[in-house]
Amino acid sequence: MNVSLNWLSTHLDVAGKSIQEIDDLLTFAGVEVEGIEAKGVSSEKIVVAQVKEAVPHPNADRLKVTQVDCGEDGLRQIVCGAKNYKVGDKVPCALPGAALPGGFTIGETVMRKVESKGMLCASSEIGLPEGEDGLMILPEDAEIGKPVKEMFDSDTLFELEVTPNRPDLLSHYGMAREWAALLETPLKPLEIPERKRTGETAIKIESPDACPLYTAVRISGVTVKDSPAWLKERLEAIGLRPINNIVDITNYVLHEVGQPLHAFDCAKLTGGIVVRPAKEGEKFVALDESEHVLAPEDLVISDESGAALALGGVMGGLDSGVTETTTDVLLESAYFTPQGIRRTSRKTALSSDSSYRFERGVDPQGVLSASDFAVKLILELAGGTAAEATEVAGEAPVLVQPVKLDAAKLDQLMGGSISLDEAGAILTRLGLKDLGDGMWEVPSFRGDLLRHIDLVEEIARVHGLANVPSRFLGAFVPTSKVDAGYDADMMLRRRLAALGLYECQTIKLISDAQMIDALPLRPLMDGDVIRVALPLSEDHAVMRPSIVPGLVASAERNVRQQAKSLRFFEMGRVFRNAGGGKAKDQESDSLAILLSGPTAPAGWSADADAADLYDVKGLLAALLPGKAIKFQPRARDGFALACDVKAGEQNIGVFARLLPGRERALDFSDPVFVVELDLGKLRKLLTGTAHVEELPQFPGSSRDAAMNVSVATANADIEKVLEKCGEPLLVDFKCFDVFTDPTGEKLAADRKSVAYRFHYRAADKTLKQKDVDGAHAKVLEALTKKLGVEFR
Amino acid sequence: MKEQIPAIQTEALARIAEAADERSLEDVRVGVLGKKGTLTQAAAGMRDVPKEDKAAVGQLLNEARTAITAGIEEKKAALQALADEKALEGIDVTLPARELAGGGLHPLTLIKDEAIGILRRMGFSLAEGPEIEDEFHCFDALNTPEDHPARNEKDTFYFDSGKLLRTHTSSVQIRTMETAKPPIRVIAPGSAYRRDEIDATHLSVFNQLEGLFVAEDVSLPDLKGTLEYFFHELFGAETDVRFRPHFFPFTEPSFEIDVKLTIKGQAPRWIEVAGCGMVDPAVFESINKGRKDELFDPEKVTGFAFGMGLDRLAMIRWGIKDIRLLIENDVRFLKQFA
Repeated sequence: MNVSLNWLSTHLDVAGKSIQEIDDLLTFAGVEVEGIEAKGVSSEKIVVAQVKEAVPHPNADRLKVTQVDCGEDGLRQIVCGAKNYKVGDKVPCALPGAALPGGFTIGETVMRKVESKGMLCASSEIGLPEGEDGLMILPEDAEIGKPVKEMFDSDTLFELEVTPNRPDLLSHYGMAREWAALLETPLKPLEIPERKRTGETAIKIESPDACPLYTAVRISGVTVKDSPAWLKERLEAIGLRPINNIVDITNYVLHEVGQPLHAFDCAKLTGGIVVRPAKEGEKFVALDESEHVLAPEDLVISDESGAALALGGVMGGLDSGVTETTTDVLLESAYFTPQGIRRTSRKTALSSDSSYRFERGVDPQGVLSASDFAVKLILELAGGTAAEATEVAGEAPVLVQPVKLDAAKLDQLMGGSISLDEAGAILTRLGLKDLGDGMWEVPSFRGDLLRHIDLVEEIARVHGLANVPSRFLGAFVPTSKVDAGYDADMMLRRRLAALGLYECQTIKLISDAQMIDALPLRPLMDGDVIRVALPLSEDHAVMRPSIVPGLVASAERNVRQQAKSLRFFEMGRVFRNAGGGKAKDQESDSLAILLSGPTAPAGWSADADAADLYDVKGLLAALLPGKAIKFQPRARDGFALACDVKAGEQNIGVFARLLPGRERALDFSDPVFVVELDLGKLRKLLTGTAHVEELPQFPGSSRDAAMNVSVATANADIEKVLEKCGEPLLVDFKCFDVFTDPTGEKLAADRKSVAYRFHYRAADKTLKQKDVDGAHAKVLEALTKKLGVEFR
Repeated sequence: MKEQIPAIQTEALARIAEAADERSLEDVRVGVLGKKGTLTQAAAGMRDVPKEDKAAVGQLLNEARTAITAGIEEKKAALQALADEKALEGIDVTLPARELAGGGLHPLTLIKDEAIGILRRMGFSLAEGPEIEDEFHCFDALNTPEDHPARNEKDTFYFDSGKLLRTHTSSVQIRTMETAKPPIRVIAPGSAYRRDEIDATHLSVFNQLEGLFVAEDVSLPDLKGTLEYFFHELFGAETDVRFRPHFFPFTEPSFEIDVKLTIKGQAPRWIEVAGCGMVDPAVFESINKGRKDELFDPEKVTGFAFGMGLDRLAMIRWGIKDIRLLIENDVRFLKQFA
């Protein structure tokens, strides 16, 4: 909300308060000051100048060289591009040294080889409201050389954010009332003569819940015309555009006392006002020409013809408003309940200064006085005759009732930092009345004060947290499962960083196009993908079912920045429906890894190789020490080399390489390997209780063997045989060489030589050579039998 | 014999002196002290030495063996020293490193971990909740019914199911109180979502840290002490912290917290870092209704809650001007936090 300091000063004396003091006052009262703008001409060096001569610029068609009289000795030469003035006009001239809004200072310059010693200004260039195109033409009687500043009022405009619980502050009078309470300074009362009221009325309220009070005054014979200067200035000061005197008065009263009003053209009404629910499917064209289809929960103001004239409290209709030809007006002032206004405003996406106030709650006791005030102004500024009495239908709702301030609870919450007397003094300043026994009467404009705690809030707000002591205490609580998970996550993160990976954070909303890179733990079925209903853009339409697409996008961005070694990971939530959308939304946590390009930065000695699958495996093994990491091929659409990742026998995630075509499309020059792991399972692996294995007491013995097998034989097949061979002395085995010869010279092209080292050991004795030989022979025999390998 | 032995010794020592490498030194050893070495053969001639000379010749032999052996060892050491010296020669210590792959944690993780570290030390434990929430946990239970002006559906991502992406981590307050019982002292870091176009200061997905303390006799001094202490730990003990009255539907009284900080190249100014307040009794009443018990009787327990934007804290901490840097993952940016 915009508040003009000049306007506000009509209600209380703020002279002597600096802008900074006012800023602090508001800030600590809970009103956020979003901006402070000094209005008016700020520089003394902007003076009235008379144009004495204007000749075409020798080097520029659009410019003129003027000689102006600024009240100095001799004339001043200024180059100017405006066209709207004539010789003899008086205009503002910014002299060298003048600081203009927007932060630049005028100097002497040369424009296309012609000297220019200042600048002739438009109104908007010197901090005044936008005027006609071109220079601001000052009145003929303006005194040459006089600072323009002295001809216009200055003002300070506060841009304030009023919290939704304080609708009483949404007007200049309401704001002044608050300032007066905080500053303990008198508030000048509003002097509004009270008009006669009558219950004899043609107004029919058919929706008393949505509109418990509706008042109207008919004023005939008004002259609709421009508002007087003072009214225009008031409205312009807070950024409103003057329209005509009647509309301006309703706007003025709204911003003065906070009660929205509406003026209808009586010529467009048939009979009395009917406040009724909209009919199902009823059409309504609002003042802003938007068209709406209404429903019974919307409230319309209509007449006896049944036509909807206005959407009650939200916006007038296109055809019922006041125009230049209006002679008789009907002035509406009513109380609309917040819930209904909010529902309609939200549904129709129509929002106005009126709906903003009604949906927060206006003062029910202010409805009639605002009407009285507006009638007075209309008679003064537009003439005409008002009906003798204001028609009143319904009753002002009573929204406040006495509230008990519980002294013990106040003391507990405030930590004993304020006495009951001091607390009471604060409430009194805010307009509450002490009814005795801890009961307080709440003024009608403070509908937000309904409970003990609401009074405490007021006391705490005015007392200030600066005056409350600090206490450093807290209950002991057990750590949670989430704590354990967090610790495991941080350990993984630190390991990954130490292994040379950068952690990424990507947006959890991704595009459909990115779904091609999704590598969820289980393949997605139709309906598994979760979409937001109204995405902001196609780029953020889908809840990520996998982190991989985000990492691929991050890697791609880095490739564009010439990064070569791409080593990234990210942890976080992934989302999917389960079972083709049949089950409820599922959220789980994932760890994704992406490796591509050299495993280390290039240097002056040998360059590191581009990462391959075995680097990924090595990384996972280092990440989960002691867990046997295995890849088990399982095809995935859209990926190459896809495997389940296993830790021992447990499936913990998925590995794959992007399809080479996808890599090329994204301009990757090396293979891109991605992994998505189930973070929940990793946490369990890392937090399970481990028992220490005893160290071997007796030495073991190793034997090497190279086997000649078909190139098609997977290493996993060999390992499987070894794991199941049942030789108790075999405690470890490891592949240490794989040799192939595509030329077929040293080894048939369809064979490979796989060398293994086998380690034998007994827990209770040092093995004799023959024991080792015997065990080794059994192991080799098992391999021969199961896989038909030949040993070299 | 008496002449032969000193001659062998002299010659051997001369050859040792000449030996340029370990191999020629070994040749000398074999040629002199080996099975067929000159000194070994000379020793074999002892049996022909007259008895009266045996002692003298024996002594000569011993002296010669000792001297030659010592000579060889000494030369060996000298050669090794030379080789060692040579091995260290010509190494340009000013050549750049053979680099390992660099890695590091994301600044959001760093600031989150720091904040969590402080709060855990203060006795808070971690809690969490779903990011796809329902209106009840995100709004209704937080005293923000459908017709409340603070409830802004325009800024909320909805799903066709009627669920929504939580607009704040405050929903975790409700999730926690539904299942735990007082005393509750939890923090919940997590993502929240707002239907905002992404620009230099806004992300549609951002990160918050929520806190909740509910017990008997929790008061404004507790709220103030806790958050003052937290921000002093985070930004330094000398940092000014102020509490501005504010409004949140689910706390009363409510405050926003500013800290006075100097951002590089700017005058010190108040920067908003968090929101907080005493849990509104209406929130407790809603919890009791859902739990069907009176464990959160507002006559008996009180509490405070707070929430802060982690992205914002990261931007303040490191002077990050464009929030998008936090989601673009440019290695040149990430490197600076490694």
